[in-house]
Amino acid sequence: MKAVRLSAKERAIVRKDLRGIWKTRMVRLTVILVPVLLCFAMPAFYLFLAWMVPETELEGTRELAAMLPAAAEGLSERQLMVVMISRLLGPMFFLMIPLMVSTASAACSFVGERENGTMETLLLAPVSLRQIFRAKVTACLLLSLITELVSLLAFSAVMAAASLLFEVPYYLDWSWAVLILLLSPGVTLFGVTFMVLISGRSKSSMEAMQTSGYLVLPVVLLFVGQLSGAFTLGPGLLLVLSLAVAAADAVLASLASRAFTPEKLLRA
Amino acid sequence: MDALTAEGLTRRFGEKTALSRLSLALEQGSVFGFLGPNGAGKTTTVKLFTGLLTPTEGSCSVLGLDPRREAEKVHAQCGVLTESARMYPHLSGLENLAFFGALCGLSRAGARERGEELLKRLGLAEAGKLPAGKYSTGMAQRLSLARALLGRPRVLFLDEPTSGLDPESAQAVNAMIGEQAGQEGVTVFLCTHQLRYAQDLCGSYGVIDHGELLALGGLEDLAARAGCRTYAAFRLAEGETLPGFERDGAWLRRAISSEDEMPGLLREAVAAGRCVYEARIEPPTLEDVYFRFVGRGEGGETV
Ligand SMILES: Nc1ncnc2c1ncn2[C@@H]1O[C@H](COP(=O)(O)OP(=O)(O)OP(=O)(O)O)[C@@H](O)[C@H]1O
Ligand SMILES: [Mg+2]
Repeated sequence: MKAVRLSAKERAIVRKDLRGIWKTRMVRLTVILVPVLLCFAMPAFYLFLAWMVPETELEGTRELAAMLPAAAEGLSERQLMVVMISRLLGPMFFLMIPLMVSTASAACSFVGERENGTMETLLLAPVSLRQIFRAKVTACLLLSLITELVSLLAFSAVMAAASLLFEVPYYLDWSWAVLILLLSPGVTLFGVTFMVLISGRSKSSMEAMQTSGYLVLPVVLLFVGQLSGAFTLGPGLLLVLSLAVAAADAVLASLASRAFTPEKLLRA
Repeated sequence: MDALTAEGLTRRFGEKTALSRLSLALEQGSVFGFLGPNGAGKTTTVKLFTGLLTPTEGSCSVLGLDPRREAEKVHAQCGVLTESARMYPHLSGLENLAFFGALCGLSRAGARERGEELLKRLGLAEAGKLPAGKYSTGMAQRLSLARALLGRPRVLFLDEPTSGLDPESAQAVNAMIGEQAGQEGVTVFLCTHQLRYAQDLCGSYGVIDHGELLALGGLEDLAARAGCRTYAAFRLAEGETLPGFERDGAWLRRAISSEDEMPGLLREAVAAGRCVYEARIEPPTLEDVYFRFVGRGEGGETV
């Protein structure tokens, strides 16, 4: 995909959209609370537990962690808890956050605009459909990527503390690199384009957001599946997944831009 | 080049034909009144001309451009006011205008200045900082008109611009429209139920019902075709009559074929010793013409 600079009109729509999305309480909560809870509060709480609770009471961890390849590395229970967070929970969060933020902001930007009755006004302005589409998708991507970046910083801080306290290697590895650089952005685009496609069929942005909730399901299954020992999400598998998501993105994006016509957008 | 053309323009929604084979051509600078009862197909026509709907059959053009394929260029020269096009509720009136001004290609300062000017003219200067979501119906309607005028349009589509307005707001809006209509080369396509006002403003009319264009032309032309006559009307002393005149309340009326008959009739009445309190010529009004055409469409019933 070629990166083209946005025109002044497109930038005006992006600014307006970001402002509108931010004014929606539901989205603001998603953008602030979800990353804080998942990437900061929860891992910090677990690490705090691991630090406070006597090691003998952490037996359950070993059973769970036994499913992970790291179990064989002769780590202590405490260290295993850190590994669980960095290899099991963390990656799941970094797929759920892009998905939730991108669908919430797209619901706001696309369905919300129709709910407000402003889609028609926007369509009557001297901008092309293509420009509106590009600007709106950009606004949603921008917000999601910023959220992901902030989440990543928070998570990295917690994990830095963990590696100091429990003497485990820092969490970043090749799997994380593929996850953060390829899979997360791909999933973000997936969330946005998916939302554009279902926006015509949803009566309200709330309904659209609920429908998109189903998208979180495969993500959860993916990580629960790891516990069954059927597969491990290493860099290779993640790369394959990224390619699959990218292909799905291309299909969805072309479908979504085709569905982006005045009649479909204004259909009550 | 005509400002607007339509050829066999048809739009169906499923079984329902909202607009059937509309053909018309409006010169640049004309002020056109599009009249018809609820559900006649007026809004559908505006949406077809502005590219929000695709024709089922036929075609239309605005300043020689296809509104569907060249929507951006058409919108750059059109101001459109429809009931369903709202403003952003969380942005103030002025911010809304600044945003749409930017989309019209105005600079930030230019959009602000133009926005402020329009708000002032429409009596919204004080409400400029208020979120548009807090506007009353009339204020929102005036803000939408300001939005439609932002880009100094050459064609103005106004779909019931004064519906829901109090008399003062309606007056402000009508004055603004009148001013636009008076400008050189600005074409106005006005859908309205305010027949009196349309008669003052418009140079030609279309009457539509059930998606069918029933009549098209200037008032005199339409009146002649509808069989609406001009009347001479006298108010005489109570109980007095005149030969050939019919009583209508306090007035005696008689159809005339030309205004030139009036002085003669007046002389006759005075010569016959009648006490003439008032005398006037009653040309057919748009209202008369409208009801003739629409009534005819309903199967002869007249109001
Ligand atoms: N999106 C749509 N789907 C189905 N039917 C529609 C749609 N839009 C309009 N119609 C039908 O088309 C007909 C014409 O509607 P339109 O809105 O053009 O009328 P109008 O002349 O603007 O009426 P009003 O004076 O009430 O505004 C109506 O019978 C309406 O029910
Ligand atoms: Mg209408």
